[in-house]
Amino acid sequence: MSYDFAAMLQTIKDKQWSLADIDWDAPGAETMTDELRAKMRPFMADLVWIEHVGARGFASLATKAPTPEIQEIYRYFHAEEQKHANAELALMKRWGMLDEDGTMPEPNINVKLAIKVLDDFGDTLPLSGLATLIPLLECALDGALVKFLLEEISDPVCHQVFRHINSDESRHITVDFQVLELIGASAPHTLLIETIGNLKPQVIIGLIVVFVPLINKMRDNIVAMGLPEQKLYNAVKRFVTVGGRGKHTKRIPAYHVLKSQAAMVIDRSHPYHRYLADPMVKVTSLVPARLLGKPQSWTEEITHEPVAS
Amino acid sequence: MTLGEFQGELIRGTAWLGHDFTGQRVAVIAPGREAAQIVPEVAATALSVKVFQEEPDWVLPLPVPGPRAVGVAMARVFLRWQVKDPWVRRLLTPDRFGSRRLAPGLGYFATLRRPNCKLITWPVYAFAAAGVRTAEGVEHRADCVVLGPSSVFARTATPEGHPA
Ligand SMILES: [Fe+2]
Ligand SMILES: [Fe+2]
Repeated sequence: MSYDFAAMLQTIKDKQWSLADIDWDAPGAETMTDELRAKMRPFMADLVWIEHVGARGFASLATKAPTPEIQEIYRYFHAEEQKHANAELALMKRWGMLDEDGTMPEPNINVKLAIKVLDDFGDTLPLSGLATLIPLLECALDGALVKFLLEEISDPVCHQVFRHINSDESRHITVDFQVLELIGASAPHTLLIETIGNLKPQVIIGLIVVFVPLINKMRDNIVAMGLPEQKLYNAVKRFVTVGGRGKHTKRIPAYHVLKSQAAMVIDRSHPYHRYLADPMVKVTSLVPARLLGKPQSWTEEITHEPVAS
Repeated sequence: MTLGEFQGELIRGTAWLGHDFTGQRVAVIAPGREAAQIVPEVAATALSVKVFQEEPDWVLPLPVPGPRAVGVAMARVFLRWQVKDPWVRRLLTPDRFGSRRLAPGLGYFATLRRPNCKLITWPVYAFAAAGVRTAEGVEHRADCVVLGPSSVFARTATPEGHPA
């Protein structure tokens, strides 16, 4: 039996929420101590950027969705990831983590590189590659980062916001894996063509240069902030088990590539880190941001304001 | 889809033609082909305009006779020439499941470039008393909503206290 994407689209529409539904001045902000604020500020800034870049990922996925319903679902997911970024920025403002004019924290060079690659290649990446990468990142975000945040912070407004975000994310992960099943069930030659598309050298190099150091740097950042590495292992395990449970996902080459990639990322003793990932973090840190040019204007759309006049 | 408790002015059908929007913040909710007609007219008098584009369509300066492919090629050139921002251009470019229509709209892109006019493609999911709520979590305040004739809201909305 095939999955009912139309019913899912209706559920997504019914579950919409707005920043205006939240009382951003409700009591609880005082639970944010100076020490916790200093510790969580870089974590929150990374989180906002992950959501914002994730939103851009769904925008690219929407252009290659296999059906009109899935395209419409991706259009909503694009907006919902933007909403998560907006809501998390509003939490940062509530906790005094933003400067006077409430501007978005500057992304690190690896995030800037990811933005550049998504702007330049995002819309040309093959569906199966992008559709596999996104659930891996969502499992990590949902299973590790957000759980960690909610354990560290007791502010009830934060928990209220993340009840909405987690509810959205549960639908994202369901759809992510159902789309993989749909892709995996397609004819073998389609998958092969897609894989050959995957192998365009400039795209492969672009992806390696950007995502290998990005993921290592993020991992180091969050582990330095106190996130137990076990949480990351569990998140990747979830990606492997849920994907393995499907009947057809296993037929997607990109799924196997990312599965072993993820296994290397969480295994610190793997030579991958010594010979590839860690040197690349160092090298990319030397890239002058001005070389990348101005990012596209979607990066200016983020806002912590629930209401726009 | 309903218009909920929206308290502002509501304009349907072709009532926007020749209407005076002086001093109003106007939300236009329509597919690209209709927004291309409505927006320049509304922006001529409105204080500010937000265009909630439900889906993009190819827009031409003038109707072009001949095969559709020629029209699309011209629409591409027109878009490229008029809109320099690559992200905004992407938002205005039809996708493969969208409508196959070509629409005339000589002043559409020039109007969108004005500082008091903004293109929004986030899905509209509800109306609040004072504005429009979109799926990126923001409530966009508006004094007046103009619904394009084939907007999803024009088709299915049952206006409460808004005589059609
Ligand atoms: Fe998210
Ligand atoms: Fe998500």
